[in-house]
Amino acid sequence: MSRFFRAGESDSDETESDYSDELTHSESEDHSDSDSDGSSSDDDDAAKKTGGRGRLFEGSFSDSDSEDDTVRVVRSAKDKRFEEIEQAVSSMINGQKINDWVSAQNEFDRANKGLQKAAGIIAQTGVPKFYVRAVADLEKTIQAALEKEKSSTKKMNASNAKALNSMKQKVKKNNRLYEKEIQEYEKNPESYVDEEVVEEKPKVKKPKKVVVSDSEDNSDAEAADDGFTPVGAGGKAVELNQENIYKKLKEISDARGKKNTNREDQARILERLLAVANSPYQKIRVLLALISAQFDFPIGASGYMTIPLWKHADKYLNLLLTILEASPEYIVKEDVPEEDEETDKDRVPQNGEPVYIQGSLVAFIDRLDDEFTKSLQNIDPHTTDYVDRLKDEVGLYSVIVRSQAYFTRLHLTDSISRTTMRRLEHLYFKPDVVIVAVENATAALLPASIARPNQDSSALIHDLCVFLYKNATSLLRTRAMLCHIYHHALHNRFFVARDMLLMSHLQETIHQADVTTQILHNRAMIQLGLCAFREGMIKEAQTCLQDISGTGRVKELLAQGLSLQRYGAATPEQEKLERQRQLPFHMHINLELLECVYLTSSMLLEIPNMAQAGSNPDGRKKVISKPFRRMLDYNSRQVFTGPPENTRDHIMGAAKALSNGEWQRSVELINAIKIWELMPEALKIKEMLGRKIQEEALRTYLFANASHYSSVSLDQLAKMFDLPLASVISIVSKMVWNEELSASIDQVSNVVVLHHVQPSKVQSLALAFAEKAAGFVEGNEKLLELKTPQQAERPKKGPNANKEQATGKQQQQRTMGPRGSRGGRNQFNNGLGNSVRGGRK
Amino acid sequence: MPSNKELSAALDIEGSVPIHSVQLDAMVVLKIVKHCRESIPATVTGQLMGLDVNGVLEVTHSFPMPKNNQDSEDDASNYQVQMMRCLREVNVDDNSVGWYQSTNMGNFMNQSLIEHQFEFQQALSKSVLIIHDVARSSMGNINLRALRLTPAFMQLYKEKKFSTEALTKAKLTFSNIFEELPITIRNTALLTALLYELETADESVEVSTSHLTTYKSTASTPASKSVLAPSFDVLDLSLDPYVAKNLENLMDTIDDHHQEQGNYAYWQRSVERENKKKAAYLLNRKTENARRAQSGQAPLANEDVDAMFKVPVEPSRLDHLLISGQIDNYCKQINEFAGPTLGKLFAVGELQK
Repeated sequence: MSRFFRAGESDSDETESDYSDELTHSESEDHSDSDSDGSSSDDDDAAKKTGGRGRLFEGSFSDSDSEDDTVRVVRSAKDKRFEEIEQAVSSMINGQKINDWVSAQNEFDRANKGLQKAAGIIAQTGVPKFYVRAVADLEKTIQAALEKEKSSTKKMNASNAKALNSMKQKVKKNNRLYEKEIQEYEKNPESYVDEEVVEEKPKVKKPKKVVVSDSEDNSDAEAADDGFTPVGAGGKAVELNQENIYKKLKEISDARGKKNTNREDQARILERLLAVANSPYQKIRVLLALISAQFDFPIGASGYMTIPLWKHADKYLNLLLTILEASPEYIVKEDVPEEDEETDKDRVPQNGEPVYIQGSLVAFIDRLDDEFTKSLQNIDPHTTDYVDRLKDEVGLYSVIVRSQAYFTRLHLTDSISRTTMRRLEHLYFKPDVVIVAVENATAALLPASIARPNQDSSALIHDLCVFLYKNATSLLRTRAMLCHIYHHALHNRFFVARDMLLMSHLQETIHQADVTTQILHNRAMIQLGLCAFREGMIKEAQTCLQDISGTGRVKELLAQGLSLQRYGAATPEQEKLERQRQLPFHMHINLELLECVYLTSSMLLEIPNMAQAGSNPDGRKKVISKPFRRMLDYNSRQVFTGPPENTRDHIMGAAKALSNGEWQRSVELINAIKIWELMPEALKIKEMLGRKIQEEALRTYLFANASHYSSVSLDQLAKMFDLPLASVISIVSKMVWNEELSASIDQVSNVVVLHHVQPSKVQSLALAFAEKAAGFVEGNEKLLELKTPQQAERPKKGPNANKEQATGKQQQQRTMGPRGSRGGRNQFNNGLGNSVRGGRK
Repeated sequence: MPSNKELSAALDIEGSVPIHSVQLDAMVVLKIVKHCRESIPATVTGQLMGLDVNGVLEVTHSFPMPKNNQDSEDDASNYQVQMMRCLREVNVDDNSVGWYQSTNMGNFMNQSLIEHQFEFQQALSKSVLIIHDVARSSMGNINLRALRLTPAFMQLYKEKKFSTEALTKAKLTFSNIFEELPITIRNTALLTALLYELETADESVEVSTSHLTTYKSTASTPASKSVLAPSFDVLDLSLDPYVAKNLENLMDTIDDHHQEQGNYAYWQRSVERENKKKAAYLLNRKTENARRAQSGQAPLANEDVDAMFKVPVEPSRLDHLLISGQIDNYCKQINEFAGPTLGKLFAVGELQK
């Protein structure tokens, strides 16, 4: 027998595929061992023969040819195990002979262990006979030894005796398991062993070359592949041909998903089938099966599809699309009734009717994209591997674009929107330059009919989104909207993004959305906040960022890593889910920058606010940013503060300087933060921040020191804070108008005249009481709601309305007239503070 | 109080006409005012003596109770008995008809007062509680209220049942814990005569009564200022302290109320939870029984489901009731105060023009 077929047999013990059967039939009996010498030359021949399969295969073959010459000696699992056991048994027998029971015991244990390991094999072949013989003999020897021991005067040493005794026990117990075999053996000891020798000899002794079935490495697989080809040279050319291509396909699709299917074999057969197939119909069928076969490969410990496999899938998918583009009369659709059993004829389009083939391209695209993301999640982002992997994105993107074009041709709305969404998700977070680069690379890869180089990224995003708004399901619409908002925010179009966010009413329903959408929403919110910051709209920036940055769970909310779990709150499953949601590194928003922006804008709002509150205990309660306050408190509690080292220290230092009116120092500290360099146009932002700090310093100064002045010259203020007189006047007027400062501007002498008015005790009490009463009413309403759930809708509006009336009556009256337009803005801010705390559910 | 029995034995039981008004002797009023004002800010109590005649409770005498209540109840009752005996000896009415208590800004609604009054009304069905508000009296008008617990409340209190159900059944709200009786103040003929004499008196008239020397000294200053000339305290314009104090009290009470609300909500939630559990259990049993019926088995034995799921007992609503009453009290006070004050402010405004 040829080694190959020996090997094939022992290897395919589990698979038992028809394939090997066929091969065995076709094999001529007189194949001898010497045949294997020619295997490598045969191999080359075969490679040449299969050259016609298509250029795609050439690469993979040529590089593995060299490997082929080194003959690898690999034994089958069975042989390996049995040899191990046999060794143990023989040394055990040796131990018996020299009366060394300690070693005998050890060997016995080893043999048993080996037996356990080989349990799977034994289930098929039965207990190895040499083992049975050994244990049967062993029992006798032990008995004899014990008797001898009793009678003899010379005692064994203690450990030996002990081992002997325990052996006795063990063997007794052990032999009960193999009672039947032992009996058989006892009946006829001589022939039993002979039989065994006859049967075992050829199997055990011969080293064999077999496929290493458990290897995942693709190069190994290919080597093995080549190992097969020569045999195929004799048989396959006949066997795998036009006629039985469908039969093969059927076999494979039937075997798919079964427990002991060898997926590699299948993929290999399919590859060869592909080479054989020549009509587009055949090719499409084979490719569909082949791509699913690629996805079927087991995922190892890494948690993602291996990159070569992924590339294969990518390649085949491209091939499939090429075929589909070339022959438009074949259409791959999901909802096609399965062809009948006798599909073994080539279907050709007749009189213009397209041929429908069942299959789901969009599922392939989804899977391919998901696997790509998964691999990115699992590769360390700081290695070159990550960058290399990221380079594959262009290929993936082009496949997506290509399939999108294909679906567009077929008018499959659902599939189009799914692929469009995928496309959008690859683009929305990228800056213009990158998008254009990707688009151009894609255009270069694809035929001109499908993709044209696109220079205007915003228009592209806009087109994609508008398409989704019009055609997609509500979930995809939501996601598209969020991506669009993100994109706008990325390009500093704050108002456009904000209006989109508000008009879509996303914030009201986002809580019900799935977690990934919520994460996208959070990302969009953060980007919007950063955008507002870049545009110098500090208040808007702070409100946008507040809900996410203020929680201390930023990482989770943005799916950019797991924060340390306190008290082991998350179960392993939750953690796993969370891990799956993580965004690949290149999509991350820089968290340090985010924190810096958040704290800076908090500082600009909170410091004047704190100054305004002054010593008034009620005012102290009005906190804009809790985390900022906490940090500031912590910072000021320290006895000695060194020079600032990190971003946080800088901001805290700046905040302190600002509250003391030392705006120059504050600006200095803020400008010293290195992370601003990550922002586009860092200089402009620093300049903006400087101006804001000056303004806020002025406000803070007025709040803090108004009680010490009866009037301040505006010129003096302008000089102190290095601001133009006009802006000083505007700031002071604004403060007066907002009733933050009880003062008036004397335009004749250019001074601010400060009034000192303190609310009387009754007034402040009345205010406090109003608040209490509102709470009281609210409590009552809640109780009522609990009691009568059907009325829950009705009273909801009550308490809030009351409260507002009670506390803000004065202000509201004034708001009426000229501030109508600003009301809108305020509402927006309230609305914005509405981000999602989802993260985990 | 242990002495209540003796008191009721001593009580002259005649006629079952319910009392509809209270008549206080001027001296009683003065004694109460004096006692309460002296011991401010502590809360003090005292006994009222008198008789009910045809639905009018005539209070003719009173005496203060000693302040130190910590020693023991016995001391207080001993004192009371002794005092009564002494009074009888000097031929003063010694029939106990109630008690009085001082208060500050009307915060008298509390458990102990209710309990005290309840005991009184248990023993002497026609007893009354006089509340004297020192702080409000200082604003000009003397502030006295005669209160009795309503029969509905008495009933509930006796049963110690203050569930929502019982309250609705008895139609009891915070506003009808107490019924308020009108008070009239009566002077004896002799006193009236003296007053007339004082009113007409001028410098020439020497009042020889030794205990009125104080009056004389004040009367001896400007002629126009008679002793009984109207007091202008009423026109005092310092409004803030009063309102502020009221508001503060109100807020404290609202806080208490808030706490009660919390307790109640907690109870409601736990009830709901238990009910849900119970419903789930019953449903489970029902399906189980249906299944068993299908497979021909006997249904599960009936267990006492109510015993298995104890619905927590509703917290007593008495506290809540009292707090509500207290809030109501404060609100009324502010209201009462605000009306006249507004008038005063307008008057002042006019004056300043």
